[in-house]
Amino acid sequence: MSEVILSVNELAVTFRGEGKKRLTAVDNVSFDLKRGGSLGIVGESGCGKSVTALSLMRLLPKPAGDIARGSIVLSDTEGNAVDLVKYPQKKLHKIRGKRVAMIFQDPSSSLNPVHKIGKQLMEVYKLHFPKMSYEQRHREAVDLLRRVDIPSPERRMLDFPHNLSGGMKQRVVIALALACKPEVLIADEPTTALDVTVQEQILSLIKGLQRETGMSLLLITHDVGVVAEMCDDVVVMYAGRVAEKGAIRDIIDNPQHPYTKGLLTSIPSLSSAPKARLSTIEGSVPSLYDMPQGCRFANRCDLAEQRCEQQPALGRLGDGRYVACHKVAHQVVREEAHGSS
Amino acid sequence: MFLSLTVRKKLKKFRSIRRGYYSLIILTSLFVLSLGLELFMNRRAVLVKYEGNYYFPTYGDVIPGTTFGLESEFETNYHELKELFKDHPENYVLMPIVPYDQYFTDLRDIRDEKGNKLYPPRPPNASTEHYLGTDTTGRDILARVAYAFRSSMIFALLLTLIIIVVGNSVGCLMGYIGGRFDILTQRLLEMASGIHVLLCAIFFATIFPPSLWSLLFLLGILSWMGYTADMRVLTFREKAKDYVTAARGLGAGHLRIMFKYIIPNSIVVIIMALPFQISSGISNLTALSYLGFGLPPPEANFGELLEQGQQRINELWILGSAVATLVAILVMTTFIGEALREAFDPKKHTVYE
Repeated sequence: MSEVILSVNELAVTFRGEGKKRLTAVDNVSFDLKRGGSLGIVGESGCGKSVTALSLMRLLPKPAGDIARGSIVLSDTEGNAVDLVKYPQKKLHKIRGKRVAMIFQDPSSSLNPVHKIGKQLMEVYKLHFPKMSYEQRHREAVDLLRRVDIPSPERRMLDFPHNLSGGMKQRVVIALALACKPEVLIADEPTTALDVTVQEQILSLIKGLQRETGMSLLLITHDVGVVAEMCDDVVVMYAGRVAEKGAIRDIIDNPQHPYTKGLLTSIPSLSSAPKARLSTIEGSVPSLYDMPQGCRFANRCDLAEQRCEQQPALGRLGDGRYVACHKVAHQVVREEAHGSS
Repeated sequence: MFLSLTVRKKLKKFRSIRRGYYSLIILTSLFVLSLGLELFMNRRAVLVKYEGNYYFPTYGDVIPGTTFGLESEFETNYHELKELFKDHPENYVLMPIVPYDQYFTDLRDIRDEKGNKLYPPRPPNASTEHYLGTDTTGRDILARVAYAFRSSMIFALLLTLIIIVVGNSVGCLMGYIGGRFDILTQRLLEMASGIHVLLCAIFFATIFPPSLWSLLFLLGILSWMGYTADMRVLTFREKAKDYVTAARGLGAGHLRIMFKYIIPNSIVVIIMALPFQISSGISNLTALSYLGFGLPPPEANFGELLEQGQQRINELWILGSAVATLVAILVMTTFIGEALREAFDPKKHTVYE
C-alpha cells in the first residue's frame, strides 16, 4: 500500500507583488501522498499551506498567482500518471471534484446561499454523471447526507445553508466533496471555524469516511494535535519552505528542526501548572517582501549562527525523514554512500 | 410555501407599503385587461344575432356588410347595423362599452342643444359615447389613450427585457473575466454612453421607417450600457467568495458559476432596476412620438396626443386625458420601484439564525 498517489515535486508558487516583482509564496516544496494514506501539512498563518493546497487544485487566484516551477503528479491504479501543472485548463473539471476534491476552511461561506442543500448536492452528480436521472441523483444525495451523519436527511435536503449550524454546514461541504468518491481529499483547515466539540466530530467523521472509502487525505492545519490524531506523515512548513518532514511519530517524539521544536513546546498542556506562561516562538514570519537570503527561520531561532545566512539544504536523516537545518547537517545520510535503505 | 423565510419577509414588507402594492395591482390588472382591449373598445360589435345565427366579430376576419343584409361589400358598419336592427327585435347588435377603436373617425352629424353642427375635436359627451371627447380628426380619445397605454406597456416591457438580459450578461462577463477585457469594455461603454439616446434614435428614425420593432431594437441597442455597471461590481464581489471557489473545486465550469452562483446571488439589483426601466421606456417612446419620430401615425401614442393637445390648448380634454394617464402610469411604476427597493433593502431585515 505504499504506492504514491499524489507526488509534489519542487513546487514553487509566485504572486504578483507591487510593480513587476514576483513574490515567492511557496518555494521548492516536495512531498508524496501515499494511496490510502494521510499526510498533514502544518505551519503557522502565512507559511504557504493554503496556497499549496489551492495549487494542487489549480485554483490559485488568477492572474496574480502562478505556479512557477515544479510538478504535481496524480497517478491512478493502472500506473497512468498526469502532471496537474501541465494539465489543460479545459479538462481540469474532469479531475476537480471527481478525482481530487477539496474542503474549505469556512463552511459558512462554502455553500451557495441561494440554493437548497439538496439542489447543491444533486448538482455535483449532474456535473459529473450527466446521465443520472433525477430520482437517482436524489437518492444518492440523501444517502450522502446520511453517510455524513446528518439526521433526517430527506428534510435537510429542503433546507437552505442559512438554516444549518456551522458543524452541519461543514458536514454538507464534506458530503459535496465526497459525492463522486474522489481518490484524494484535500482538507484545508476543515475545523478551524468550528468549536472544539464539533471539531472532534468532524475529524472522526473524515477519518471514518477515509477508512470506509480508502481515499487519500491531505490535511492542512495549524494544529499539530489534529495532525497527530489524523495523519501518518507530516510536512512542517515555514515561510513557504519545508522545514521538516517525516512520519508523525518520529517528528513528535524527536523533532530536529528548531521550528518544529518550538511548535511542539508551544502546545498548551493540561498538566502544566495553572497560569503558567505559555511557551511561544518569539517574533513573526518574515514578510514576503523581504525574505532573508539564508535560513528563513534564522531571525527567530535561538541557535542561529554565522552559517545560517546560507540557505540550508533539505537533508535526509533516515527513512523518509528530511530536515532543513545546518545544525543537523552532520546527521545527514549520504544517499550515494548508503544507497536506498 | 416553498419560499424561504427571507423572501417571504420581503414580500410581506412589500405588501405593507400600500401605495406600491396597490400600484402594482392596479397597473398589472389594467395591463392584463388591456390585452383584451378589442373586447371593450372597438368599432366591431362583441356579439351580433342575425336571423337566428350568432356572430362574434371582435377577433378574426372582416365580416362584409352583405352577411347582415347591408348593401356594403366592405366591413360591416356595426353602428349602422344597430340603428337598422332597432325595428327588428329578433336581431340585435351588442356593442362594446366604447364603440370605437383607435382609428375610427366619427363623421356623424352631431349637433349641440342649439342645433349648431359640432366639428372635431368634440368635447366629452356621454350621449355620443365619446366619454373623453374626440381629437382633431374625430377619433375617440378614450380609445386612443387605452390603445396607447397598451402599446407603451408592451414596448416598455420588451425593452426592459432586452436591456436587462443584455446589460446584465455583459456586466457579468466583464466582472467575471476581468483584467484587460474589463478595462477595454469599460472604456468602449464610456465612449458609447456619450451618445445621446434620443438624438441617435431621431437620426436613425429619419433613415429607417419607425415601427414598434425597429424602435425597440434601436432603443435596446442604445440603452443597455447603463445597466452593466451594477452587475459588473456585484460579480467582482460574488466571484471572490469561497463558495465560488468551492464550486470550482467541485468541477463546475464558468457558465455554471455565472448562471447558478453569481447571477442568482445578485438578482436583487436586477429586480430593483425593473420598474424604473419600465417608466423610462414609456417616457422614451412618448418623447420620440412627441417629436414625430416614434410610432408612425395613425398609431395611438401619448406623445402624439400630447403634441395634439398642445396645439389645441383650448380643447383641454385632449391634453388633459393624455397628461393625466401618462402621469398616473409613471407615478405608479415609480411607487412600485420605491416599494421594491424598500422591501429588498437588506439592511431593513437582517435575520439572526
